[in-house]
Amino acid sequence: MKIGILSKRITGMTGSMANFFENKGHKTKIYLLEDFAIDQSLFENDFYILKSKTLIYLYTGYYLKENKIPVFPDPELTYKHKNRTEAHFLIKKAGLLCPDYICGSLETLKGQLKIGDYPLIVKPIMGSGSRGVKKINSIEDFETEENKLLYMEKYIKGTHYLVYFIGDDICTVEKPPLSNEHVDMKEVPTTNEIRKVIEKWKNYYNLIFGHLDIVLETSTNKIYVVDPGLFPEFTNWKHDKDPAPKVCKLILEKFKN
Amino acid sequence: MKNTKIGIIIDKYHLEYKVTEFLKYLKSIADVSVYIEESYLLNSSNNFYEEELFFVKGKGDLILGFIKLIEEETSIPVINSYKGTWNAIHRFMHSTRLRKAGILIPDYCMNPVKWSNPYESYIVKNIIDQKNYKFIPKMDEKNGQLKVSDQRALNEADDYQYLLYQKFIQSKWEYKIYGIGQEQIYFHRQLPVLVNANKLESRREIDEIPELKEVAIKAMETLDLKITSIDFLKSDEGVFYLTDINCTPNFNYLKDGHKIIADYLLKSSKQ
Repeated sequence: MKIGILSKRITGMTGSMANFFENKGHKTKIYLLEDFAIDQSLFENDFYILKSKTLIYLYTGYYLKENKIPVFPDPELTYKHKNRTEAHFLIKKAGLLCPDYICGSLETLKGQLKIGDYPLIVKPIMGSGSRGVKKINSIEDFETEENKLLYMEKYIKGTHYLVYFIGDDICTVEKPPLSNEHVDMKEVPTTNEIRKVIEKWKNYYNLIFGHLDIVLETSTNKIYVVDPGLFPEFTNWKHDKDPAPKVCKLILEKFKN
Repeated sequence: MKNTKIGIIIDKYHLEYKVTEFLKYLKSIADVSVYIEESYLLNSSNNFYEEELFFVKGKGDLILGFIKLIEEETSIPVINSYKGTWNAIHRFMHSTRLRKAGILIPDYCMNPVKWSNPYESYIVKNIIDQKNYKFIPKMDEKNGQLKVSDQRALNEADDYQYLLYQKFIQSKWEYKIYGIGQEQIYFHRQLPVLVNANKLESRREIDEIPELKEVAIKAMETLDLKITSIDFLKSDEGVFYLTDINCTPNFNYLKDGHKIIADYLLKSSKQ
């Protein structure tokens, strides 16, 4: 088969996936930004893997899907993971808890936020993961040049976990607050509660792999989903040396079905 | 008798320059609440609204988030919807979806900035049509080939490193169609903006063109737009191409546009 991988880089998970497919006799092409046009020339592959979610890749995914070329994961769902407002409702629809959010200009926030509203977590409205995410304890913590629209979530005080899943295999690691996926994390047992959250999430959206950032709130013991991810790098996956073969096998299986 | 309550979700620019007459008239037939993007604090825990319908005049990120919140948390109709607004501002997406629906649009593609031009004559358009600024064309004509770039698109190139190209269609006239619901379609014709930047100078109302009416309705259905303006160009072969579609049309250019829109909103709120 001919497989296209839409990815910003050739290393990491993308490189491992390309190696796996090549070793299985498939032809693989990685589409780096600025090296391809979004046009009919993309129809040469049997299916695509949407690894990155910047706008150009999202458009590419949509374009392929509209033209009946299979794309994994689904571009619509990928967009909804990237847009914070959409992600909030994705989580709610799946029947899971997520923090309330507020959104407005800095001027509006200055006028309307009260001391009791803090702490808050500011996040880029388009984005996932920890880039641009920071804790805000008072109005002084905002950078003055932040005259753009600000998206903020209620801060949930508790223990932060990054929970990966590939098929039925779940790997839970404890995550330092506000850190990115790539810092070294320690595996902890996956509790029944965490397993239920993951099952609910993946069954609702028919997912074959992914991750959820969750916080176990100290005061209530409730689990909040604070960031969902469709295609992590699996840097802290502890169950295999390389998770790429597992992920690739699931993708091939999904394609065949 | 209790008045119908209609909410207006709007940005400061449209509020100051585009809706004075409309608001005056709407307030005479309904209770109106106005939510201004620049001063509104969107709060996901606040999802109780008394309005029977929301009308959107703007396309900023907070406005999109507000539409999403209303659609997800209430059953109040929003005109235009999140889907419609999103589709309209993402030019590449609506081109793709309209073509898929069988609507003729000029050839288009997205190419890296560093690549050569894909067509002999073309227009480079802005990728996301979200901000309130107008089309400022930069034109270059050589050996019968026309290269037009929208200044907004060139400014955007730094962000994406891609350009959105649309093949240029030579046309004597530009056809401007306003759709307000599917029952009210209005037809105008003007010299193309590239010929005369003052589009209103040559704009005239024209008789219905059934072929364009059918395409306009299909486009509205495909993109989920209830209120729109659509541009068409007619090729030398007599074929109409849809070149642009807008989710926040300036209805002041339509005779009694403010009344037509307000009456339509009131009617829609009762359905």
